Amino acid sequence: MQAVLPGLAAVDFWSLPQQVVNGVLLGAIYALIALGYTMVYGILRLINFAHGEVFMLGAYVALFVSWKLGYSPEAMMAGPMPSNILNLVLMLVASMVVCAVVGVVIEFFAYRPMRNQPRIASLITAIGVSLLLQYGGALFLPVSPPPAIREEVNPFPGAFKVWIRQPQEPLKSQFLLAEREFEASQQALREEQYKLRTGETDPTKLLAKQAEVDAALARFSPLDQQVQKASTRVILPHGLVIMLCTSLLLMLLLRWLVMKTKIGRAMRAVSHDFDSAALMGVNVKTVVVVTFLIGSALAGAGAMMYATFQNLTISTFFGVQPGLKAFVAAVLGGIGNVPGAVLGGLLMGVAEQLVSWVGLTAYRDAVAFVILIVVLLVRPGGLLGSSKVEKV
Amino acid sequence: MPAEFPVYSLAQGGKPPDEPGAISSMDVRKAIPLGLLAAALTMVGVTGCKPPEPSGTTNTSTSTGDSGEPAASARKAPTAAGPTVTGDTIKLGLVASLNGNQKPWGDDSQRGAQMAVDEVNAAGGINGKKVELVIGDSNSNPQDGKTAAEKLVSDGVIALLGEVASGITRPMASVAFDAGIPLVAIGATAVDITQIGSNVFRVCYNDDFQGPVMAKFAFDELKLKNVAIITDNKLPYSQGLSKSFRAKFEALGGTIVDEQFYEQGQSQFTGQITNLKGKNPEGVFLSGYFNEVGPIAKQLRQNGINVPLFGGDGWDSTQLINSGGEAIVGGYFCNHYSSTEERAEVKDFLAKWKSKYGGVPGTTMGALGYDAAKLTLDALARAKGLSAKDLIAAIDETEGFKGVSGTITLKGQNGDPLKDALIVKVTRTGFDFFKSYSPDQLK
Repeated sequence: MQAVLPGLAAVDFWSLPQQVVNGVLLGAIYALIALGYTMVYGILRLINFAHGEVFMLGAYVALFVSWKLGYSPEAMMAGPMPSNILNLVLMLVASMVVCAVVGVVIEFFAYRPMRNQPRIASLITAIGVSLLLQYGGALFLPVSPPPAIREEVNPFPGAFKVWIRQPQEPLKSQFLLAEREFEASQQALREEQYKLRTGETDPTKLLAKQAEVDAALARFSPLDQQVQKASTRVILPHGLVIMLCTSLLLMLLLRWLVMKTKIGRAMRAVSHDFDSAALMGVNVKTVVVVTFLIGSALAGAGAMMYATFQNLTISTFFGVQPGLKAFVAAVLGGIGNVPGAVLGGLLMGVAEQLVSWVGLTAYRDAVAFVILIVVLLVRPGGLLGSSKVEKV
Repeated sequence: MPAEFPVYSLAQGGKPPDEPGAISSMDVRKAIPLGLLAAALTMVGVTGCKPPEPSGTTNTSTSTGDSGEPAASARKAPTAAGPTVTGDTIKLGLVASLNGNQKPWGDDSQRGAQMAVDEVNAAGGINGKKVELVIGDSNSNPQDGKTAAEKLVSDGVIALLGEVASGITRPMASVAFDAGIPLVAIGATAVDITQIGSNVFRVCYNDDFQGPVMAKFAFDELKLKNVAIITDNKLPYSQGLSKSFRAKFEALGGTIVDEQFYEQGQSQFTGQITNLKGKNPEGVFLSGYFNEVGPIAKQLRQNGINVPLFGGDGWDSTQLINSGGEAIVGGYFCNHYSSTEERAEVKDFLAKWKSKYGGVPGTTMGALGYDAAKLTLDALARAKGLSAKDLIAAIDETEGFKGVSGTITLKGQNGDPLKDALIVKVTRTGFDFFKSYSPDQLK
């Protein structure tokens, strides 16, 4: 076994920007999930432990929709097929809708009957629902071998590339030219493969295109090696940028909903004081339902993007780790506080990548707990939360 | 192949290995049941069965990588008498992962073994007795594998076949040892498996062979000098393979520029990959299972690492192509046989498989399962009597058995056959034979 703590000298300073960028991209997903935790907590003072499982179901919905759209492993045997943004929108909307419904159903069956019981009762049912979906889900969801959403679904395979340290000319222009050629040859190969379905191509044509890719890569590789030595470039895959933008858009939408609409005002009122809001004529039941609806829909959106753009394998435990991180993120930002959840999510994402950066990959997940403990000790209300200590 | 879960108490004489961060990947909710399970597992391991102490000379951890030589020590013989066939049927036990994340391997090994048994029965059975394959599900984990093996032993099987994963095979081998019956492992490549007792055999090569094969291939064939390794820290298989790869590659004059770690079940590898990129490797050796190798390959390409990827037989499942997509196409790995080989045994096997199950097996475990069952029954036909003891002796006498996965000789090898390793190349639809290495070529 390798030493766990490599010398800090091994840390590569120039990979830091990429790690931070990756952290922000990951953090956006944590933030989306954390919003669900924090909103439910804000309204009901309940930690909805089943939220991670709603996230998991969202990934499965996206998977099933992608299969229906013709991107199932069986259908792909006939050859790849081009995708478009409409497919992504369909998957996103389906995930959000199904998750919203699931969230409301869970609230109705598991939490509502417990509303007037001590709070610990709801907490236990929450854990129960979570375990039920994790282990019971395997009965009706495909888990083995672990499925994944096909990469072909994503119509934007490219990436933005930003120089941090530029290589010298003429190496730079040679490198960029070779890279463009390599990417163009890959694109040409892909387009040739699309013709597999219609039978307009044959193996020799495909092999010729493959040979072009190999040749372009052979020209590109030495330059790449040379450039890597003395320069740094941050890579932002288009899919992940879409993921980040969509997340931010959804967060702004939520902000508008909470601050500018009638239901938003009602939510804030209930969050402020559940009983008084009820006495003032706020329809508390509706507010609770809407909260679950929105929180779960955000989790569904996050799940669809996480599973699609990162090409992750899906299982019934898909939501466990992100759910946990998001929960810590919500506590970190101040549970019950909406901007706090976003801040906490981003911080969690970046922290996690930085832990990998210094070589403590094995402890990456442990860091979530360390952060949780430190926050609870030093600032129990979270970064943006009230310092009022809440007994859960 | 490899373990899915560390089963320390058996192989390392009850001492859990130093496994940093093993607990860190668990979340609060899972930690409690898993912790209990681990505790229970350790207890079962310590009290339930007495694993033979690995003798000093067989300590393979110091291997320089180019073994393939059998260990020089005599293995401990089981003391239990073992069963003798009395009725009209001969019961042959098989443990396979029919559920869980190793299901692709388990299904294929079961089908392969069943095919061999059916063939023998169609040819009149053994000494006029029909053979019955009794199957136990290991559910892709060592605890269930051990329980399944115990169940099969109490059913009176004359031999145990399986498993594909080393971690599951280990407890099974101890069960077989205590019962005095032979165990023929299908795909367990961890080096120490066959040291459990003289009743343990395998039909595959071990990790002290395939790691060096890949190192030699990377150095000589791919002409790589600076290579990075990505290891699954939760898999003894992956750790052992990375180690033997590193030793050979460095001995050849290459440099391992970086080694990054992950744990089975993780799906985010960007942190490790970004670190790796800074080290500028010319190739990456991925020693884990196909479940993670696919996503890692994708994320490597996504992060602009376009270098060759290669790995061990843990890659072996067409599921790899599904999860790895274009990124894994063109990768190489070490395998036991290839469906594109020209040998008569392979063609014959594929034809039979096609007529029985349709298509080609998705993993090599179909062929290895077939070989394991065929070899055991072949030995049983040669054995002096239909008892477990005679069967162990007969298997140990196997010489030049023409298997689908190559010619297998177990005589004088202490359970580890000398076999060729094949390097296959990943294509969009399957794995193509690329090159084969014999044990002699590695010396």
